[in-house]
Parts: sequence; structure tokens; C-alpha cells
Amino acid sequence: MAAASRFYDGITAQVHEVGVRATTGELIIFRPADSGIVARWPIDELVVLGDGNHEAAPPVMRRDGEARLVIEDIELRQRLAALVPELAALDHRPAPLVPRLATLGVTLMALVGLFWLTVDYGTEYAAPWLPYSLQAKLGETVFEELVADKDQCHGAQGLEAINRLANELAQAAGYEHEVTVHIVEGGPVNAFTLPGGILVFYSDLIDQAKDRSQVAGVLAHEIGHVVHHHPIKGIARQYGIDLLMKLVSGGYSDLLNTLSSGGNILLALRNGRAFEREADATGVGMLEKLGLRADGIAGFFEQMMEKEPKDAAAAAGIWSSHPPTQERIDATKRPTTGKPAFSDADWKALRDVCK
Amino acid sequence: MSHATTPWGQTAGSAPGGVFVPEPTRPDLTPSRPVYDGTLGELYAIYLRHLVLMIVTLGWSRFWGRTRIRRYVWNHLAILGDRFEYRGRGRELLIGFLFAMVLLAAWAGLMYLAWIYVFHEKPFATFGMFDIFSLSVLLIGFPLAYVGHYAGLRYKLSRTRWRGIRCGMAGSAWRYGVIATFLHFANALTAYLLTPVVSVNLSRPRIANTRLGTLPFAFAGNAGDIYRRYLGYYFLNIVAWIAAAVAVFFTVGGTLESLGVSTDDFLKLFSKPSLRTLLFVVAIAFAAYIVFGLLILPLRCWWQAYLMRYLVTHSRAGNVLFATAISTRQMWGFLVLNYLIVLLTLGIGWPWVMHRTMKLIADQLWVYGAPDGASIAQPPDRGPGYGEGLLDMFDVSGI
Repeated sequence: MAAASRFYDGITAQVHEVGVRATTGELIIFRPADSGIVARWPIDELVVLGDGNHEAAPPVMRRDGEARLVIEDIELRQRLAALVPELAALDHRPAPLVPRLATLGVTLMALVGLFWLTVDYGTEYAAPWLPYSLQAKLGETVFEELVADKDQCHGAQGLEAINRLANELAQAAGYEHEVTVHIVEGGPVNAFTLPGGILVFYSDLIDQAKDRSQVAGVLAHEIGHVVHHHPIKGIARQYGIDLLMKLVSGGYSDLLNTLSSGGNILLALRNGRAFEREADATGVGMLEKLGLRADGIAGFFEQMMEKEPKDAAAAAGIWSSHPPTQERIDATKRPTTGKPAFSDADWKALRDVCK
Repeated sequence: MSHATTPWGQTAGSAPGGVFVPEPTRPDLTPSRPVYDGTLGELYAIYLRHLVLMIVTLGWSRFWGRTRIRRYVWNHLAILGDRFEYRGRGRELLIGFLFAMVLLAAWAGLMYLAWIYVFHEKPFATFGMFDIFSLSVLLIGFPLAYVGHYAGLRYKLSRTRWRGIRCGMAGSAWRYGVIATFLHFANALTAYLLTPVVSVNLSRPRIANTRLGTLPFAFAGNAGDIYRRYLGYYFLNIVAWIAAAVAVFFTVGGTLESLGVSTDDFLKLFSKPSLRTLLFVVAIAFAAYIVFGLLILPLRCWWQAYLMRYLVTHSRAGNVLFATAISTRQMWGFLVLNYLIVLLTLGIGWPWVMHRTMKLIADQLWVYGAPDGASIAQPPDRGPGYGEGLLDMFDVSGI
């Protein structure tokens, strides 16, 4: 690395090896060989481009000019910086590296931890504060997307019956907004909840339920998701952790992002299992609070176990979005007492909702 | 600041790749190498600060962080004793990003209108609004990523100075995007037999349109020159994949069988992860690394090193010639090892990769001769006012 200073005139790519001298009003750049003046820059027009943290030799220029003076000699830079306040940046010496790296590393780890906690626990408290209109809009958009190529069931009495029970359960749990249940024709034997209190039932679930208490049980479970704002919490956590992964990994590797997504899915599944347990408990609680038969949830799971004795959720372990079925049966087992959730007429209408 | 020793113990003039034959009448072709004097520790300090700010600002500081890293890397690299200078600004990248966001929002609006007025509640519409949007972004995203790549290169060059002279890039990014899309599409349709055509024809506009002030670069490559080597690589690659698949099949199957592990046991390992699972995954990953590492990747690196040597030795800037003797092993370090470093360190090793890459460039790029500085003038234009929005959007910008 040459110690001499180099001057680039900004007009052509010629290099001038130069000497530099500072006077009270000017920086004089001259040829060492014959002391010929190459440039005279007024002190108050000097600009240092960059700093010692980033540039090895921060270029000096005259304000609004194209020419550059690069001083490789550190001692000369320090002398000039001491003499000319406008060139003070030339003497910028970075702080010792090891303490700097240690401080930055510890700060980074602390921030990652804080961010993680904020996402994981903060959403628990923040989700209910998200404007309901926004949640409803999001839910409606996703719903339209999901059922775009599917037929919905329009049996008015059946829909009215299930929506009435859904709203009674939601009110019993203190949920202030209206809940809407849609029934989609066909399978799978499933139901799910979207943001904004939107519930989707597949008609196969209603067809294959042994009795009305099972449908009421599944409905109560889904209302449990609604009142705990699980859809929004799930989205917020997944997005938050995804963002954290991206921020910390710098987002520079596709494969790394894929791995991050894999980790994120595992976290989402862990959240999913916690949500399911909470929804089960809340669902049973709501049914009991209204004096309705509360054995439907366990009954539904038992029926699932009969059809598929091998517990897929238990086998999948950490890869399952739901807790092991036997565990859920044990947790939701209730006596067959209580009022029926649907009247005979309502239950018949619900069974015929797609006809 | 340049290394003016003779490369690979050869006398000056016998360049790797046989680019030129020394003639007594030729101008000065003294070989030199770039010098990179950045340190890993300092680069890490800048990068960690960037990550800290990324978390605090939820990623919005990335434009300034990227700029700071470029400033460091550029200014610690010198050719013929003259350091590069990066004068881009974070706010220019931010404006570029916002501009790309506006474009995407406009596109989303257009797709929304198409959905509402053309498809919504129509019997033939067995898809949703998101499907239309995703499909349309996929269709325009592919060419746009190439447009963004070229425009990003133009931006970076326009903010790069050497000897006080701005670099630049001529040519149309859109034209490049169309050509790149067509060539990649055609290459996929022909089972990647057009790879040399794609490589050479996409390198040509990038190299030949590069400018140092008023000095244009030139590229004299031709796909025909490298086809023989590529076909050798192509068919060897097929054989290697078959061999790797057979090796994996017998190794994994044999191992499971010899351990007396049934499919159920195998699945159970993953559903209830334990130390045993971890060891199992590490063993499988190691086996896969060995099989693919020994059979597939060296072949790929062999080809990539050859391609790199060809592209570099067929480029010049005025009377300045370039050459490299990058080997298969060095390409392995560049492509595979760097990839593993980023992957296994969850991204924290990125500055190490950058440092290794700059060292490799400084070590392996030979510059023959020096430009006639007096004949290179400052270009009148200053390049684009903002940059890299599309690159950022498609997440391909890196540094």
C-alpha cells in the first residue's frame, strides 16, 4: 500500500502522486518533484467523504467537486486533522475491536430475546386490541379465497340454528361481536375458524356426527378459538418469528430462509397444540355454563379414534398441529347430562342444510 | 498497492487461459492483482451493528446497513494502487424500494379490479383473488427479477468510483429481462442443454455495457467455445446423479436394515425428537454431504471454474486485460463452503463469506496492463437517482 497521497482531478482517470500542505485558508496539493501546484482548495470548502469505520482512506474533496484527494499515510491524515477542523474526520480511529464486537454481540442477543418474548407473549395481550373491522375484513377475504371453488350450503333453518347456538356460546364466553358460521358442502370431516369470528364447517362433519351433541361440541371448540382470538394470535406469532428470522439471518440465503420457515412451522404447530387445548377447555366450559350437554367434544374424538385407531396426532408428535387425541378425550370427558344443544327440528334442518 | 509479481511462477505475458500472446510491439502488460486489505473483525463490527439496527427498526435500516457494508468493502479493494469508492446512499435504496412497492400495489389494484369485474362470482371462476394475484406475480416476477438484477448492477456501478471516475452501465434492463427470461425458458425446455448459450449471452450485456467513465469494457466470448466442456460436464453429471442415488438408496436402506429399524420406529424418531434423533439427522446429513459432496458438487465446481475462467479471460477494458486461474477447489470454496458457512451459522457467518470472497478475488484476478488515464473521462450522466427496488422486492439483492 503506497504511503503517498493520490490526487484524482475528477475530469480524467489520471493519477497524480502529490504532497499536501495546509495553510490557514487553503489546502495546497502539489507535485513533490517540482512543487508545482496541482490544486488549492479553500479550507471552508473541504469535505471528507466517509469515516474511519468504513473507509480505509476517506477521500477528501472540494464541496460540489469531482476531484478527490486520497491520503494513504495515516500520520499525515492525523496531522492534517489536527490542523484543520474541517478534516477532523480523517483522524477518526475506531474504538478497540474486541469490546466493540462484544457489545454488539450482547446487544444483538438481548434484542433477539426481547423480540421473541414480545412476539410470543405480547400477542397474547395485543390480539384482542386489533380493530374488529380489520379482523373481519381479513377473515372475509380468506374465506372467499378458501371457498372460491367450493359449494356452500344454504339451508336457511339449519344455518340459522347453528348460527344461533354459535352466538349464544360466544356471548356466554363474553365475546362482544357477532359470529358467523358457514357450511361448505363435502369434506374433510373438519371445521376451522378465521379472524373476525368466521367459522367454517364442512357438511361431512355434520353428516358423520353420531348425534347433535358432537356437532355442538365441535362448534363450542371453534367458538373457543374465536373468544381467545387464536387466528389473529397465530398469524401475528408466525409473522413475527418469520420477521425475526429474516432480520437476524440478514435474509441473504434462500436455503437459510427455508430452514427458518421450517423452524417457524414447528413453532406454529407448538402454538397450534396450545390453542387446541385452550379451545377444548373453553368449549366444554361454555356448554356447561349454558346447561347444555358437554360430552360432544370427547364423543367426537372417540368416534375419530374408532375410525382411525392409530392416533395420528400422537404419532406425529412435534409435527402435529393438534395434541394427541386420547389426551383430548381425557381432558374433555363429561357426563351425558344437560339440555340438547339443538331442538329436534333444528337438528333435522342442520342435517339437511345442504339439500 | 498492487502485486506486480508474476502469477503461478510464469513469466509475465504467459497469462492463464492463453488470452494474449506477448508481442514486442504491445503496450505495457505488466500483471498485477487487486489488493483487499479489509479485516474480518471490522466487517463483523459493521455487520453486527447492521443486525442490531435491523431488529430495532424492523428491517427498515437495511438500506443504510447495506450501504455501510459496501462502503467498507469497496474502499478496502484497490486495483493498481487506487481504491474503489462507494458513494451510494441508504435513502436512494429506500426510494427504490418504495417505488417498487408502489408498482406492486398498483399491480395488486389492477388484479383486484380484474377479479371484481371479470371473475368474481362467475361460474367459470374456480379460483380466488389471491390465486390470480399470485399467478400474475409469478408470471411477471420471473422477468422482473432479471430486470431488477440488471438495474441493480447499474445502480451499484453508478455509485462506484475508481480514480475519482464514476463507473456506469449502458443498455436496457428491460431488454436484458426479456432476453434472460427467454433464454432461461428455452434452456429449461431443452433439458439445460443451452446453458453455455445462456451463460455467454447473459454475461455479454453485463460485461460489454459496463463503463469506467468513458471507457467501455468488451467481451469476446462465444458459446461455441465452451460447448465441448459443457457437454462433458452435462453427461458426467447425469452419471454422477445416478451413482449418487444408488449409493444413497443402498446406504440408507442398508443402514436402517442393519440397525433393525422399522418404518414405524423411523417415524417415531422424528415425532419425539431426542439426542438419538439429532445424531441420526447429523449422520444422514453427513452421509448425504459425502455422497453429493464427492460426486455431484465437484463436477459442478469444475464446470463453474471453467466458465469463470472463460468469462474473465474474454473480458477487457480498453488495453487492460483480465485473467484468472481459479481452480475447481477454489470454486468449491466459493460456491459450496461459503454456502455451508452461511447455512450452518444461521446467517451470522455472512461477513466471513464476504471476506473470503474478496480475498479470493484479490488472489485470483489478474490485471494485465494499466488504462490510459488521460483518455478516460468523467461521464456526463450520474446514473439512476434511486436503486435496487425490484432487487429488494424479490429478495435477491444481498450486498
